[in-house]
Amino acid sequence: MNALEAKAISKSYADHVALNDVSITVPEQSVFGLLGPNGAGKTSLIRIINQITGPDSGEINLFGERLSEKHISQIGYLPEERGLYKKMKVGEQSIYLAQLKGMSKQEAKKRLDLWFERLEIGDWWNKKVEELSKGMAQKIQFVTTVLHDPKLLILDEPFSGFDPINTALIRKEIMRLREEGSTIILSTHNMASVEEICDNIALIDKSRVILEGQVQEVQQRYHANEYQLKFEGNMIGFTNALWTNFELISKKSKEDKHDVIVKISEGKRLNDLLNAVTSEVSIIEARPHIPTMNDIFITAVNKEKEKS
Amino acid sequence: MNKVMLIIKREYLSRVKKRSFIIMTLLGPLLFAGLMIAAVFVTQADSADHKIMVVDNDGLLTHYDAQRRAYIPNCVDCFPERDGFNYYFTNINPGDSIITDGDYTMIADVMNDVYETKTVELLYESVPSISSTSRIERDLESAVERAKVMSAENIDYETYKRLKVDLRLNKINIEKGENAFEQERAGIGSGFAIIIFFFIFLFGAYVMRGIIEEKTSRIVEVIISSVRPFQLMMGKIIGIGFVAMTQFLIWVLFSALIWIVIGTLFESGMLQDTMAVSQGMSSGQPNLDFETYIQQQEGFNMLLSINWTLMLSMFVVYFIGGYLLYSSLFAAVGAAVDNETDTQQLMTPIMLPLFFSYAIAIMSASNPEGFAARIFSFVPFSSPMVMMVRIATDTVTWWEIMLSIGILAVTCWLMVKIAARIYRVGILMYGKRPGYKELWKWLFYKA
Repeated sequence: MNALEAKAISKSYADHVALNDVSITVPEQSVFGLLGPNGAGKTSLIRIINQITGPDSGEINLFGERLSEKHISQIGYLPEERGLYKKMKVGEQSIYLAQLKGMSKQEAKKRLDLWFERLEIGDWWNKKVEELSKGMAQKIQFVTTVLHDPKLLILDEPFSGFDPINTALIRKEIMRLREEGSTIILSTHNMASVEEICDNIALIDKSRVILEGQVQEVQQRYHANEYQLKFEGNMIGFTNALWTNFELISKKSKEDKHDVIVKISEGKRLNDLLNAVTSEVSIIEARPHIPTMNDIFITAVNKEKEKS
Repeated sequence: MNKVMLIIKREYLSRVKKRSFIIMTLLGPLLFAGLMIAAVFVTQADSADHKIMVVDNDGLLTHYDAQRRAYIPNCVDCFPERDGFNYYFTNINPGDSIITDGDYTMIADVMNDVYETKTVELLYESVPSISSTSRIERDLESAVERAKVMSAENIDYETYKRLKVDLRLNKINIEKGENAFEQERAGIGSGFAIIIFFFIFLFGAYVMRGIIEEKTSRIVEVIISSVRPFQLMMGKIIGIGFVAMTQFLIWVLFSALIWIVIGTLFESGMLQDTMAVSQGMSSGQPNLDFETYIQQQEGFNMLLSINWTLMLSMFVVYFIGGYLLYSSLFAAVGAAVDNETDTQQLMTPIMLPLFFSYAIAIMSASNPEGFAARIFSFVPFSSPMVMMVRIATDTVTWWEIMLSIGILAVTCWLMVKIAARIYRVGILMYGKRPGYKELWKWLFYKA
């Protein structure tokens, strides 16, 4: 079953269109990367899923049911702009927020103990938020997001503000939550983390979905018959040996050691490339060039720009 | 638990637990009590010379002395000579003019049939001190007793007891008339109006600041992913409203407590002695009970003439109405801005009617039946304040109160609706400070 299906969501504000016919599908128990440049419409979509605002048209299903008020308790939301009551004590505040999500006080207390232990912050219970450092407050915010045991977690830039150790800790917890059955929607600009933890992605640009799919499949799609070669020898000889079916995309050279990416035209294979150049240079390594999510992001967005 | 209840509870507890709230709540009534006691003592300071014209209508106490061409008391000892405290006698009431002309300070009019009525009307222009009035009471009592004894034969103890007179001084201010404390009651009414004004001002601003705080700390987005914006807004308004009611309730209870404590002290004689000393009275006179003492105090007497049950319950009703009306406006402003310094411009349309109503209420105190008072006790933005004055002065009918509350309720409902629409849009808007035009547009945004 899919955790979330958004079908043809459109939303416009007085002066601009925020979402234009956006559809995404988030499989259950997966991490879904919601990507896109600033102002693309990600936050609008997240707010619609959270029922903070409603869509102008389109429909959203959560775990097979039309989105309704009863789903509020099943969603945990970590907004990009973090915020807690500064004058309120950490424990009290976490329980209050869980209660607002519909959890009982006793249950919230029990789970809070567990989470404080997991994140090693047990002695913060009676501290006021204003006494905490930014990173500490971020941790608390993460706890308040997951405390009520939501089936769907929406995390907007969950790693911002964390040092590498805590980033790893939070990542571990996200993966654990997925193992335990939660579905996670991750909105981020940190493409490295997308490759590491996302199963599926959707790239939103200018209020539309321009790219969607499994991470590996998307990378395959953008791989576009490119290969990375490392070789020793003469660079000029190498380029001369490439005929019309091959295109040199990039090159990096250090003395007579070279690292190049070559695009092979449709119908040709890596063997053809190797046949063409082995007489000129000695190959050290050859492998398909898998584009980073970063590259894909930039390429896809730029392509859209050219279109318009 | 209901989510709105959770919000109300948080808003309430987080404020009631604050040190500033506790201090304010405890100090408030002490301050009031202090002011009232000070006011009473000020009116007690009575060093003026008194010239009292005793009117002996029945001719029981005096006879005409042709030689001296004056009425003199049958019992001279009953009216001993004192410095600055002199009695004069006549048989026909010469009229208030002898006081207004400044020849005499008081007229003690011993009523016809005094044996039966046991009443003496005491007329004055400036309020005499308790020591002066009780002195007059004692002197006249002994004179009347003496007259009775003189007319009786064969006095035994039983007869003596029957002859003993407990005179009642019916004190009348010649300017204001009997029991007409209209001015003082209007004063109490405007006191209530002032409390409503300050409560709306103070607690409305709390609502606004609370909303700005939630908005700038960005927690608002987390919360409205759990509850509807309307629930959050109403939770905050109601929670803070309860804080105000708590404060007021504690003030009332505390004042009642102070009243009882003073009353008990008084009846046990402790306070009476100290007061007597401070007023230069000879101690050892019979103990008064507290109620009688209060009745003798003009400043306090009018307190007993007010219908406190009606007053307090109407205060609650009008406070709720006024607070709901204004605090929903405060909420809309809080949601529209990012920080407190940006509120100035948007606050003007709240502050103008609030201060205007306050001014009208104070003005109504001097003329609670005037045109302005009547009109503005129906206008919902001013009725919570103006109506308090009119209720205190008893110049309002039941249907007027009901109509005014009705109009207020409908306006509140409308205002809350409007505020909720602005609030819903405003809490998620950051950056530019919206003008009125922008706010108007927000009213029509779809959710």
